[in-house]
Amino acid sequence: MITQMQVKGLMFDPYNNAYIVILRDEDQAEMLPIWVGKSEASSISLALENVAPPRPMTHDFMKSYLDAFQAKVISVVITDLAENTYFAKIHLTYADSEYTVDSRPSDAIALALRSQAPIFASESVIRKQSSEELDQWLENLKPEDFGKLDS
Amino acid sequence: MEVRASQDTEPLIELVVNRVVEDSNTDTRIIVLARTDAAADHFMVWVGASEGEAIKRALDAALTPRPMSHDLVKSFGEHFGIKTERVVLTDVKSSTYYATVFLENKGVARTIDARPSDAIALALRCHAPIYVTQDVWRRRSGQNLDAWLSKLETKEV
Repeated sequence: MITQMQVKGLMFDPYNNAYIVILRDEDQAEMLPIWVGKSEASSISLALENVAPPRPMTHDFMKSYLDAFQAKVISVVITDLAENTYFAKIHLTYADSEYTVDSRPSDAIALALRSQAPIFASESVIRKQSSEELDQWLENLKPEDFGKLDS
Repeated sequence: MEVRASQDTEPLIELVVNRVVEDSNTDTRIIVLARTDAAADHFMVWVGASEGEAIKRALDAALTPRPMSHDLVKSFGEHFGIKTERVVLTDVKSSTYYATVFLENKGVARTIDARPSDAIALALRCHAPIYVTQDVWRRRSGQNLDAWLSKLETKEV
C-alpha cells in the first residue's frame, strides 16, 4: 500500500540546524517530516514556489539530463525508514521501458516537483515514523519556526 | 588526438581538477583546474559550498553512505546506457562560466547546458574529460590568482 503525499512546506529545525520537508496525505491525516540539508531545502523551495533561479540548480540539471533523452519521471516513492534515514525510489520510463532508481528522498522530491510527478509514501514508512516523538518535538517549536508551512 | 568544439574552431584545452580550495571569507569553494599539457597556468572556478563539496567527494573518491545528487545523475546514465562523453567550459560572461555536457546513447548525441560545478561533478564521477575553449581560457579571470591562492592556502594551514 502506498499513499499519495503533497509537499506542504518547509520548516527550519533550529535544534538540528537542518530543514524539514513536510509531506501530508490528502486527508491531512498523516504527516511525514523528512530532514534535509540546506542546499536540498533551497532546491525544493525554489520548485515549490515556481521560482526560476538565475542559473539552473543541480536538480534542474538533472531534469535537463532526463529531458535530453525523453526520459520521464512517473512517480517517486518514499519506501523505507531505517535508523532515522528515509529511502526513496524514482520510477521512470525511458525508450518504452520502466526503470526504478534508488535515491535520497530530497533528490526524489526535488525532481518530482520539477517533473509534476506524484510523490507517494509506503504504508510501512508512515507507520514507522513515531508520531509520539513528533508531537513532542512539534510542541517545542515556536510559531515563527513555521515559515512556509501551509502558506 | 585533438578535440574541437566543431570543425572550424581551435582545439580545446584539456583540464584536470587539481584541488578544491575553501574560501572561508565567503563560504565558497574554488575549483582549481590544471592543463593536462603541463603548462603551468591554472584555471579557477568559484562555486557554492555544497557544489564544491560534491566535486571534492568525487576527487577524493569518497564513498557516501547515500547516493548524492550527482551520483543519482550517474545512476540514471547507468540504467539508461547514457554515456557522459565530455564536458566543455564554453563561455564566460561577467565572471560567470558556462558549461556544456556532451552525452551519447546508442549513437544519439545530446548536449545540455550546465553550471560548471554540475558539469565537473558529473564528469569526475563518469571519468569523462573536461575541456575549456581557447577563448574562455584566454578570458579567464585574473592572472595573479596563483599568488593570491597560495596566500589563501597558507593562511588556512
